[in-house]
Amino acid sequence: MSKFKRIRDVILGVFMILLALLMILLPENSLGIVVLILTVSMFAYGFRLLWFYFTMSRHMVGGKATLYRAIIVLDLALFLVSAAALSRIIVLIYLIFIFIFTGIIDILRSFEAKSNGAANWRFKMTTGVITVLLAIGLIVAGLFFQREDILVYGYCISLIYSAVTRIANAFRKTAIVYIQ
Amino acid sequence: MNSDFHYYATYCAAILAGYNHRDSLDIAYSNCFVDMCTKTMLSRIKAPLAAATTQLNLELMDANTDIVGLQDITRIWASFHFLPKDLYAEPAAKHCSKRYKNKYRLICGTNSELLGHTVRLAKNKSLQAMGIAMHVLCDTWAHTYFAGTPSLVINSPYNRFYEIMPDGTERKITFRHSASQPDNLDNSIYTSSLGTSSENSIMNLGHGRAGHLPDYSFIKYRYLTAWGNYEETVKDNPHDYRYAFCQMLYALKYLRGVYDEFELNRYEFEAIADIEDEIDAIINKRQLSSAEDWRALGEKLSGEKVEEFDREKYIAEYSNADEKQKDGTFLGKFIIGALAQKSMVTNKIYSSGNKLAGYSIDYKKKGFHGIRAYRKLVKEGEHE
Repeated sequence: MSKFKRIRDVILGVFMILLALLMILLPENSLGIVVLILTVSMFAYGFRLLWFYFTMSRHMVGGKATLYRAIIVLDLALFLVSAAALSRIIVLIYLIFIFIFTGIIDILRSFEAKSNGAANWRFKMTTGVITVLLAIGLIVAGLFFQREDILVYGYCISLIYSAVTRIANAFRKTAIVYIQ
Repeated sequence: MNSDFHYYATYCAAILAGYNHRDSLDIAYSNCFVDMCTKTMLSRIKAPLAAATTQLNLELMDANTDIVGLQDITRIWASFHFLPKDLYAEPAAKHCSKRYKNKYRLICGTNSELLGHTVRLAKNKSLQAMGIAMHVLCDTWAHTYFAGTPSLVINSPYNRFYEIMPDGTERKITFRHSASQPDNLDNSIYTSSLGTSSENSIMNLGHGRAGHLPDYSFIKYRYLTAWGNYEETVKDNPHDYRYAFCQMLYALKYLRGVYDEFELNRYEFEAIADIEDEIDAIINKRQLSSAEDWRALGEKLSGEKVEEFDREKYIAEYSNADEKQKDGTFLGKFIIGALAQKSMVTNKIYSSGNKLAGYSIDYKKKGFHGIRAYRKLVKEGEHE
């Protein structure tokens, strides 16, 4: 990881923690903030991928994967906007499913890292399992108590956890392979 | 290519080209030192950082991939390890963006105009400059089809590689990402850089995604390049390494004055006729390093003992020299040779309208601007 990326990750991590604290202090406005940030960032990322596909990766073997990723991201962004207008609880559940998805990806990548002999597979496995368990716990608690704010608090805890992981990652030594 | 070819095979070629033992060692050492001359090393001996000819893992990890960082990386890797084949090449696909074309045009290949410039640049220069030129020449054969700039769309081939064994059978190649484990030749398991979808990730620099495959002389394999429009590519390293050796031999003879002109696509096949079988045996031998075999051949050819490559060999001489004497030391001459090569390649890339290697200013027209270390080239030119 470059110095620039380390600094960027630390700043992003701190921002995520501040955002989570803000949402805990002002729970009545928190959902709107979450939806706004997620939607804007997903649209920006989706359009960036589209631009990259049309200017670069459409000439590449297997480059269509970029186009599919762009469409999926934009589709998710649209879904998020639509769901936010209909039901707040759907948005929160949706967010938690994103966490589950992230956790599962981490677990799958840890398997891949292990099979490739990379040393960091345990860390990925741990973060993946914790993310999935946390998300499942939140869904159960939210449905059991039928309270939206529990899900908001849960989301904030997850956000803080992600931020701390991101900051910790920024300070980790990263082993890479390069061929000369 | 590894030190086995860059050092020991180069020594063999230099002896065959008519250089004496001492000069052959210096040329071979300079060739190999291109893979050692990092900013970290230059910083340690207080030499100009602009003369770096390679980058360490840690240096790459800390290198920004913003435009300035990319230019620094490209200057190093395109100048010394992935000499571009054609700076004006047109991709087969129509309506490509300028950004894509700029990366595509940095794909390395053999017998390019830039190779001609590289070898001619070393004519009547130091043995160190000759060694640097030979490194660049050799790498054009090994690193063909990859570019010396980070790029997903150029350097990240489809991940199905098949090794073509000498008996014609094929074996699927497995890539892993563990730098600590040696490549497993028996089972065709090789280390490569990690896959990432980021265009400018350093994982997509050069042939990292294809692991060390281009660096082994014995291997022949087929795969789909990222940029090849789904046409299969067969990389025949035994053939390419043989050509690399014979072209290096021809270039060294040109530099020694045997030939007046350096022509592309010329090889000294006749000069190796007596030892052809021995060279082929070394090139085709399935092993991680062929250093000992090349070394034995070199000692047989010269009748002298070929010392092992020692990266510290000339450090003290440079560090202890007075400021005015530094340019006359072994490393001082290497640094001037490296600056000249980097300056030339950067200029050619920039002149083609491609700014991926940075900016180049014509000294004769606009005077001296930019990186101060290049003043050494101005002084060098004044002495000539």
